[in-house]
Amino acid sequence: MITAEQKPIDEIREMIAPYKKLLVLGCGSCVAECAAGGEKETGALASILRMANKMEERDVLIEEKTLDRQCVRDFVIELDDIIGQYDAVVSLGCGAGVQAVADMFPEIPIIPALDTEFLGETREQGLWVENCLGCGDCMLYFFGGVCPLARCSKQLLNGPCGGSMDGKCEVNPDVPCAWQVIIDRLSSFGALERLEWVYPPKDWNKKQGKGPRKIIREDQQK
Amino acid sequence: MTHSKGPILALFYCQNTPESSEKERQALEEKYGKSLRLFPIPCSGRLDLLHFLRALEEFADAAYLITCPEGACRYFEGNRRAKKRVERTRLIIESIGLEKDRVGLVVRSREDRRPLAELAEEVVDLTSKLGPSSVHKKAA
Repeated sequence: MITAEQKPIDEIREMIAPYKKLLVLGCGSCVAECAAGGEKETGALASILRMANKMEERDVLIEEKTLDRQCVRDFVIELDDIIGQYDAVVSLGCGAGVQAVADMFPEIPIIPALDTEFLGETREQGLWVENCLGCGDCMLYFFGGVCPLARCSKQLLNGPCGGSMDGKCEVNPDVPCAWQVIIDRLSSFGALERLEWVYPPKDWNKKQGKGPRKIIREDQQK
Repeated sequence: MTHSKGPILALFYCQNTPESSEKERQALEEKYGKSLRLFPIPCSGRLDLLHFLRALEEFADAAYLITCPEGACRYFEGNRRAKKRVERTRLIIESIGLEKDRVGLVVRSREDRRPLAELAEEVVDLTSKLGPSSVHKKAA
């Protein structure tokens, strides 16, 4: 899923300062799972912004709504009837959600309230970890289901580097050495010979080579 | 909601707090009138920062939580979670210039068997010193 964190309140307040009627818009998908932009977080942000305005005796209308998904136009269209009531939208969607709303309502300023972070896994309650770069050319088969591009601090395709200590990365001792994990995994199902293979430099063409990516599936289209 | 003249305390409390039945709750509300709003909850771990924020926004000058003693939560870690949420709420309200002591936590020791009435009085005394919240100054 896509992970995100809320921007500091001061930063959000600076961006919304010119507006008098605001819709705080949450998203019930990835950012709800990572407790950044779901219904609860949307309510909390709207509440704190309203309190800040009351304290400064600023007369600003702040309302809240959470869509099931901000990145899917079929859900964003729900705003069609109400968006005209607002000067601006404060979005707690990920970058894709913010842009989907902006694209559908070009006349309304969209203010991002989150910093979108990474493609992550919920490791445990309250802990999200990055483990995919979305490179467009998945090599997880070769590395026992552990991505060295996302999880090795040096992004080595032909590791290990030799600098890890007790299974921890020398760049950041809080991080498990991805190559140690790869070796452990490959060993556990008898595929350690893949460590002997030489992997050529990553071809980043599939990620960044042709500008913004898109996927077209005609069988899924109307 | 109409704001009363004195500070209003929203007091959430774990229902495992001694002598905190409906009868005792009613007696406390009679004693303090509009200045105390009581919210019994089955476990303090149920409480989210949104509950504190809504209370502070809508009517309360302070919002506090009484948990069961650490290590004695019926649901194992409800009070530990509540403690972290209270801390986060305090940071958030501080970021808009509201005194962080307007949100707080009362954690008893295992030996502390004081009843709800006594604990509530302690929190009322503590929070009344803070005076009215600047969120409600226009309404006051």
